[in-house]
Amino acid sequence: MNVTIYNEGRQTKVVLDGRLDTTNADQFQKDIAPLMEGADPDIEIDCEKMEYTSSQGLRIFLMLQKSVTGRGGKMVMKRMSPQVKEVFDITGFSHIITIV
Amino acid sequence: MEYKENTADYGLDLHCTSIIEEYRRMLPVLQKLGDLVLSSIRKCLDRNRILVTTVEGRIKQEASLAGKLELKGLKYNSLSDITDIVGARVVSFYYDEVDKIAALMDNIFEVDWENSVDKRKALGKDSFGYMSLHYVCRLPKSLYFDPDCPQINDIRFEVQMRTTLQHVWATMNHDTGYKSGVQIPQEYTRTLSRLAGLLELADDEFTRLRREIADYRRRTEQLFKDGDFNEVELDSNTFRSYLASEPFASLLRRISDINQAEIQPVNGMYYLPVLLKMGFSTIGDIERLKREYSDAAYQLAVHHFSGTDIDIISSMLALQNLCFVYLVDNGSGAAEIARFLDKVNGKSNYNFDAAARIFNAVKSLPYMKKKEKKKE
Repeated sequence: MNVTIYNEGRQTKVVLDGRLDTTNADQFQKDIAPLMEGADPDIEIDCEKMEYTSSQGLRIFLMLQKSVTGRGGKMVMKRMSPQVKEVFDITGFSHIITIV
Repeated sequence: MEYKENTADYGLDLHCTSIIEEYRRMLPVLQKLGDLVLSSIRKCLDRNRILVTTVEGRIKQEASLAGKLELKGLKYNSLSDITDIVGARVVSFYYDEVDKIAALMDNIFEVDWENSVDKRKALGKDSFGYMSLHYVCRLPKSLYFDPDCPQINDIRFEVQMRTTLQHVWATMNHDTGYKSGVQIPQEYTRTLSRLAGLLELADDEFTRLRREIADYRRRTEQLFKDGDFNEVELDSNTFRSYLASEPFASLLRRISDINQAEIQPVNGMYYLPVLLKMGFSTIGDIERLKREYSDAAYQLAVHHFSGTDIDIISSMLALQNLCFVYLVDNGSGAAEIARFLDKVNGKSNYNFDAAARIFNAVKSLPYMKKKEKKKE
């Protein structure tokens, strides 16, 4: 999976492209590690090109959201495909993670 | 009266001037006493878990003392006759707590009963005004003793105890005229008395309300203990208690066992308005939902998770699935499920598609098919 991270004003944008599963979850966690600290914690994750997320992905999103809200910021996931959204729905994570 | 550097400048007689001079000499001891009184009160309230709005203290300002002596200096032989040089005030939330706090003050300090006054009772039955309990106390040696400063245990201080609303009235009354030296017109005095009556009524109502809520909680707890859920109205208190009893643990465990999933704990209070909107009015209604639809909710989870490696779920998934099957079984379509998702997860463009998927999934469950067959 390709991960692109860039800043737009005080917000960090993360663009995900591909499948997030057990084969690349560790790498993804390393990629987003810098987002777990810093003074401007607001994060927007663009999921338009994300094809799938496994449970590992859910755990990482949850961890990132906790870190962001712990620093007074907000994390939102956007433009999710119905297939990816379904994973959040059937696990009850659509309430836990902010999806717009 | 304003502060004067030279005590003679207050224009008091020799006797009163000597009291002011005594005050100046004693000031460090008075300040030490004030600190000890405040910290003792705070510790005592903490130990007894009494929540109050304010604990405050002050040492009477020299100018204020001079003003007092100017008016009634002959009444006092020495500084020790003035009992409110060191003062503390405890402001409670509720009327009935004032007496509780008073009992605690009696425990920690030596109360001078002769000079203590319950101003709540000093008012006639048909008049309204200043309501506060004033205890004149001494610091007992058992609480604090310093051989280099034994006089600290002899100095009397005043502890005022009142409710927040009594405090509001006293402050407003003070601000609008008392001690200002100007006679207030009778119409304003009457307004202040009416306000005192109003606040006294509000104090009583708040105290009554708290007692009734406590009674309601006790009754509800008993109903929970007795398992009489039909009598327990669904509200934030009962739903919180109900969730604390982990009512969906068994179904959740069955669901998590499908893929040995980890359960992510979530506070489920957000379901309360949703359940009320769905027409559930007692805890018994939720128990019935659970009894009737647990198998179907489990089947829905199997439908979702079999063939996947998803091994993390929200602790509210059991209730979510129960609601889905309840809605479909009671004739709701995708539109109603979408509205349910709007309330549970927030409004989103995704919700209608998700609702359609859920509707079809529920319709395909063995539980629903069996029901359909029975109807035929």
